[in-house]
Amino acid sequence: MAYTILIVDDSETARAALAKALSIAQTPVREFYQAADGQAALALLEDKQVDIVFLNLSMPGMNGLDMLNRMKERGLLDTVPVVVVSADGSETRITELAELGIRGHVRKPYTPERLKARVDKLLGAMHEQ
Amino acid sequence: MSNELNQAKHVFSRVAEDLVFMFSEEWDEEDRPATEEAFVLARIRFTGPFNGALSLAAPESLCKQVKENMLGARLEEGIGGKYLHDAFGELLNVTCGHLLTALAGDDPVFNLAPPEIVVLDRTGWEKFKSMPGITALLLEDMPVLLHFEQKG
Repeated sequence: MAYTILIVDDSETARAALAKALSIAQTPVREFYQAADGQAALALLEDKQVDIVFLNLSMPGMNGLDMLNRMKERGLLDTVPVVVVSADGSETRITELAELGIRGHVRKPYTPERLKARVDKLLGAMHEQ
Repeated sequence: MSNELNQAKHVFSRVAEDLVFMFSEEWDEEDRPATEEAFVLARIRFTGPFNGALSLAAPESLCKQVKENMLGARLEEGIGGKYLHDAFGELLNVTCGHLLTALAGDDPVFNLAPPEIVVLDRTGWEKFKSMPGITALLLEDMPVLLHFEQKG
């Protein structure tokens, strides 16, 4: 099975690097969607079926935390798994995000192997359901 | 050099190795003067248990190498501007996240603003270099300046 993936990050380079890392990690991808802020990502989620969202926190416009809160309000976090990819290392923040409903956190900089381990764990768990 | 600036230098070197596979060393300006004419200054403001900003400046030519290493691909000639600068901003963003953890530990929550990027000419570079609280190093033979600012 191949997956539809949404990458949300204001840095075009960071989005491309994440897509490349997933490719190196041989994650089967049907389609990549990209958004530069939370607002654009939410609009995309209304139109498209997405299997997993990789979300940065620090972005201009609607940031990652605001986007997560909107997704929570709309019940989207129950159906669309979100992995936060950020430079943030605060365990308090990561615990808060987990309580909000994210399915994982990958700290930048990451290796393709670490990203793959996170994706395998998440998508593997989804398959078992 | 303040502890914060020393940590900034250490964290930047580690992040540059891990994120863009570039290695740093001490900069002796007499051995390797900055001869470039265009420079980039990236700045990230942060709020949390203490507020402040981390800034990073380098010759603009470094941005292309940073972007190529981040993507693992050679870029076409003639590409410039915002497209290259955003990779430099990402390098600063990751450095800032790790520096705040190094300074404050794993518990405190900080909010990082998106990087602000400006292009400097030689005069702007010299002015930034002469500011108090600047530390410098060489990254793959190109000078890099770091500035850490803490308020309250």
